[in-house]
Amino acid sequence: MPSLPELQETFAAALLAPAPDGALPFVVADRIAPAERLAVYRHNVRHNFREALRAVYAVVDRLVGARFFDYAADRYTREHPSTSGDIHAFGARFADFLAAFAPAAGLPYLPDVARLEWAMHEVFHAAAPPPFPLERLAALPAAAHAALCFTPSPACRLLASRWPVHRLWALNQPGVAWDETFDLGAGGVTLLVRRSGFEVELEPLPGAEFALLDRLAGGQALAAALEAVGTSAPDFDLAAFLQRHLLTATLCDFSPG
Amino acid sequence: MPLPSDPATRPRRIPRRAGIGLRAPHYRRLLDELPDVGWLEVHSENYFGDGGQPLHYLERARAHYPLSLHGVGLSLGSAQPLDRGHLARLAALLRRFEPDLVSEHLSWGAVPGRHLNDLLPLPYTEEALAVTAAHVAEVQDALGRPILVENISSYLRFRHSTIGEAEFIAALAAQTGCGILLDVNNIHVSAANHGFDAAAYVEAIPVAAVREIHLAGFDRIGELLVDTHGTRVAPPVWALYRLALTRFGAVPTLIEWDTDLPELDVLLAEAATAERFMEAHRALAA
Repeated sequence: MPSLPELQETFAAALLAPAPDGALPFVVADRIAPAERLAVYRHNVRHNFREALRAVYAVVDRLVGARFFDYAADRYTREHPSTSGDIHAFGARFADFLAAFAPAAGLPYLPDVARLEWAMHEVFHAAAPPPFPLERLAALPAAAHAALCFTPSPACRLLASRWPVHRLWALNQPGVAWDETFDLGAGGVTLLVRRSGFEVELEPLPGAEFALLDRLAGGQALAAALEAVGTSAPDFDLAAFLQRHLLTATLCDFSPG
Repeated sequence: MPLPSDPATRPRRIPRRAGIGLRAPHYRRLLDELPDVGWLEVHSENYFGDGGQPLHYLERARAHYPLSLHGVGLSLGSAQPLDRGHLARLAALLRRFEPDLVSEHLSWGAVPGRHLNDLLPLPYTEEALAVTAAHVAEVQDALGRPILVENISSYLRFRHSTIGEAEFIAALAAQTGCGILLDVNNIHVSAANHGFDAAAYVEAIPVAAVREIHLAGFDRIGELLVDTHGTRVAPPVWALYRLALTRFGAVPTLIEWDTDLPELDVLLAEAATAERFMEAHRALAA
């Protein structure tokens, strides 16, 4: 007679393994064979994980097709098991998995599509940012600005890709007709993923704006970030940058540094 | 951020009426029309995020309806310790939404390093009873209130079980003071799958412990009945429900539907049917 930990370990392994042999001796055999009974759980568990991934990675699913997606999802579930009773937390490493998944090697943009979809999933469930404390900032002397460090909104993500993944995402939404002029090789994108109300939006940003935002979101002080990004370019307007990202709370707080 | 619904004016007590399981596709119609349904139940884990649309809609719904939080992920029957982070998020949700009922399942879903995110059956042994009772007590301590524990549908039994399922859940309630969420559809499904007498199961459940009843639809897959929550309540389940009303009285009853979700009207019609059976029971009992 197995102890409870032994039984649960054996049963859990049997649910995801290619063959469920280990758990069968523990199951009551009557008019229905233990393997047939266990098959209900094996099906349910696989189905639930596939559908949880499909709910987040709908565009990946569309790009590769349901059979390929299910195959990848089953492999992912075995290699990167769920570790939370909250199924919404499952799938965080799917992009990295796809990047190393040999059958998907012919689709080099696929991991970035997955990164984008996970970012959108996180942003959808994130806390809304507090309004930026503009009055507190205005009270600081100008000499203090160089050392400012900003806090990024919990409902924003920055994502850079060698591929136009935002277009690929938009073209693969339900009911959207394919654009024959779309060119996958047309160049990459630097994206701000943010929530507006309850909708998740994708906004391509110019390279310098993205790079500066990325450094500020990473905690670098304003002057150091500006110097590193080299935004002395005549078309870069720091005042407009700050006004926009503080008013929309892409950056939602600051410390004096 | 939506303002929290005013705690002073929120409806609190779940009435002895039928409620429905609220799922995301029905948020808008429910809030636009505010149908006359007794109460709402949601899956706790669907509101574990930090913000956004799900919490916003739950805030708005909560202003109009009493609420029950029904968890699917705590894994009360796992041999390993409970996930304290999960429990803390559940506690925070309780503080925010003040549900009248809080429930979980008599099942397990996690082993060290891995969660199966499913409601898996326990071997009904003294060892499993001790583990589950300790976990229920820990949850009730953390939440500062009793919870309800629900019987699941099962598709297999373990050979080394020594206790009947109804006796197991009755002992759990007696040892921990937890209530019982009696899922009448699950009794029917498991009775068919394992060849036990559903009525005898109902008779073995302690009357005072039952605070809520669940009703849902099942499907037949091969030789087995499977609890899909994707169809209307079946006639034999309604019959078993009437028997349950006779034994437990008109306790709050929930219509659950999770797959192939129909229009809201279908759920409301099922809830109305449950209320007709409750009324008939009251008339007979009077």
